[in-house]
Amino acid sequence: MSSVTFENVTKRFGEIAAVDALNLEVHDHEFLVLLGPSGCGKSTALRMIAGLDEPSEGDIRIGARVVNDVDPKDRDIAMVFQSYALYPHMTVRKNIEFPLDARKQPAAERAELVSGAAESLGLTDYLDRKPAQLSGGQRQRVALARAIVRRPSVFLMDEPLSNLDAKLRVQTRVELVELQRDLATTLIYVTHDQIEAMTMGDRIAIMRDGRLQQVGPPQDVYDNPANRFVAEFIGTPPMNTFAATAEAGRLLVGESVLQLAGHLRASVPDGPIIAGVRPEHFELADGAHATADSLSATAVLVESLGHERHIHCRLDSSDVVIARAAASEVCPAVGAPLRLIVDPQRIHAFNGDTGASYALA
Amino acid sequence: MRSRDASTPRTPSRRSKRFRETSLAYVMLAPSLVIFAIFVFYPFIKNFTFPFYQTSTAGGFGAFANESKPKWVGWEQWGAVLGSRDFWHSVWVTVQFVGLTVPLGIALGLLLAVIAHQKLAGITFYRTIFSSTVASSAAVASTIFFSLVGTQTGLWKLQINGHGILDDKTWALPAIAVVSIWQSLGLSFIVMSSGLQAIPDDLLEAARVDGAGASRRFLRVTLPLLSPTVFFAFVVGSISAFKTFAEIDLLNPIGKETGGTSLLAYQVKRLAFDSDSRTGQAAVFAVGLFAIVLMLTLIQMRLERRVHYAR
Repeated sequence: MSSVTFENVTKRFGEIAAVDALNLEVHDHEFLVLLGPSGCGKSTALRMIAGLDEPSEGDIRIGARVVNDVDPKDRDIAMVFQSYALYPHMTVRKNIEFPLDARKQPAAERAELVSGAAESLGLTDYLDRKPAQLSGGQRQRVALARAIVRRPSVFLMDEPLSNLDAKLRVQTRVELVELQRDLATTLIYVTHDQIEAMTMGDRIAIMRDGRLQQVGPPQDVYDNPANRFVAEFIGTPPMNTFAATAEAGRLLVGESVLQLAGHLRASVPDGPIIAGVRPEHFELADGAHATADSLSATAVLVESLGHERHIHCRLDSSDVVIARAAASEVCPAVGAPLRLIVDPQRIHAFNGDTGASYALA
Repeated sequence: MRSRDASTPRTPSRRSKRFRETSLAYVMLAPSLVIFAIFVFYPFIKNFTFPFYQTSTAGGFGAFANESKPKWVGWEQWGAVLGSRDFWHSVWVTVQFVGLTVPLGIALGLLLAVIAHQKLAGITFYRTIFSSTVASSAAVASTIFFSLVGTQTGLWKLQINGHGILDDKTWALPAIAVVSIWQSLGLSFIVMSSGLQAIPDDLLEAARVDGAGASRRFLRVTLPLLSPTVFFAFVVGSISAFKTFAEIDLLNPIGKETGGTSLLAYQVKRLAFDSDSRTGQAAVFAVGLFAIVLMLTLIQMRLERRVHYAR
C-alpha cells in the first residue's frame, strides 16, 4: 500500500500558514496533481511528504504509517526537483547510482539497475557525461532515472517540466504519464500549469493560500468548479464571470435575461450573484435577432488563433467576456452588436461574497 | 585592411574624442600608478639588482646607503646564499610553518562554517564571534598571545622543558603557528561559509531523499562541491603563510638565534636591517620567496579548472 494521506495538516512559517488544515488522500497507484498559483502551499505540501519540512500540526501517512518523524531516507519515496538537483561533480552514471549507493546495494546489482533505468529513459549513451554536458531535457531525464532506479513506492515531482521549452514539455508530459503507468506507483505532481494538471492527473487537487479548494478528476473539476477561484483558474481562456441579479429563477444581466436550469433554480437565492459561463458555451448570434436566454453585447476585440477565434465582448452591464468561436464561423466586426446565446445547463452561479458555487449548495 | 578604412572613416572629431577618453582614463589612473610605481614596481625590480653587490657591516645599500660603496660581486652571492645551509633551513622551516598553519586553518574554518550553517537559534551571534579575528592584525594577535603565554609577564607563563614555550627550539614554531591560525581563522571561516552558502539547498535535500546520511552528504556532496573554495583558501593561505613575518618578529626572542623560527620573510628583514645590513643576501632570500610564491600561483592557475564544476 502506498497511499499518501494528509490528516488536518498545517504548516506554519512564523505567523503564516503555508498549508492550512489540509485533508487529502492520494490513492495507491494514483497520479495526483497538486495545482495552484505560486505561494499556494502546494510545494510545501510535497516537501512535507518528502520529509524535508515537518508539519506544524496534523499527521501525514504513507500507507498506514504516520511518517511525521520518519527521516526522508526511510519513507520509500523519490523526488524530482524543479532544478533537477543533479550532483554536478558526478557523471550521469554516478548520479543515477547515488540512491543505490547510499543504500549500500551490491555493486553488480547497482550496475544492472542503473543500466536498466538509463535504457528506459534513453540515457545509455550519456552515462559517462557530467550534467553540465547535457541539454535541459537530458538533465530532466537523469533526474527521473535517479528517481525510478530504486523503485520507490511514492514519486514526488516538483514542477519538473517548468525548465523545458514548450515543445519538449508536451512530449515529456506524455512520457511521464506512460512512465507512471508502467511503474504502477503513486505519483504526486506539483505544478502551477493547469494544462499539465488537466492532461496528466487522474485527479487534481487545487490549492489557494494554503487551503484545498477542490479535488477531483480533471473533467469533473472543469465542468463543476467548487468556487469562483477554481472556475477562473482552470481553462484557457478561463471561465467568464460577470455580475448578475437572481430573481425568481432567472438571472438579470443589464437589460438581458437568462433562465436558470432546474438544479440552480432551487439553490440560488434572489439578489446579486456572480454568474459564470465558459467561453466555448457562448453561441454567437446576430444582434438583430432577439432571443430568450441570450446576452446582448458588443464585440470589442477579435483574437485569431488560426483554428479558432476569441471574441472579446462587452455586455451591456459593462463586464467584458470572451466567447470562443470556430475559425469557420462568420467573424463578427468589431463594434457590431451581438447576442451571446447560453444553454441554461451551462450557467454557473457563485456566491458574490464567498465565491462558493451554488450548484454544490 | 584598406577596404575597412574606406568604409568606416575615422573623422577628426571621432579621433579627438577617443584621445580625450584615453587621456582621461590615464589621468584617473595616475595617482594609483604613481603609488604602485614608487612602492611596488621600483622596489620589486631593484631587488633583483641587490644580489649582485655585497655590502659590509660598514656599508649600507640603496636607500640605506652611507659613505661606503657596495662592492660588485656578480653571481657569487647568489651561489653563496642559495648553496647555504641557512637558506635551505629557512625554506624548510617556512614549509613546516605553512604545513602546520594552512591545513589546520582551513579545517577549523570549515568546521566553524559547518556549525554556523545550521539553522539554530542565536547562530548569528556565533557567526559574528567566529569571523571576529578578521578585525585583528597579526600584531594584535601576537600581543594577545604574548600576554597569555609570555615567559616573564604572561598570564599562564606556559612552560615546556623548563623554559617558556616561545624560548623552546622545538615548540616555538608550533606556538607561533597557533597564533597565526587563530588570526587567520576569521577569514578562513568567512571564505568557507560563502562556499557553503553557494551550494544549492536542493542538492543536499536530494541527497537526503536519496538516502544519504549526514556524513555521506558531507563527504559525497558538500565537500566535492566545496573543493574550489578549499583550493582557493589553500593557495591564498599558503601564499600568505609563506610571507609570515610579524608574528615571528614580535614573538621569537630566541628563534632568531637558534633558527627554529627563521621563516624566509623574517630572514629577509633580519639580514637587511639587523646589525650588519647584508642587503644583497636578504635580496636573494626575497627572490627565493618570490620564486616559491610564483610557483604556487602557477600551480593554482593550472589546477583551478580541474576543481570547478559547471552547473
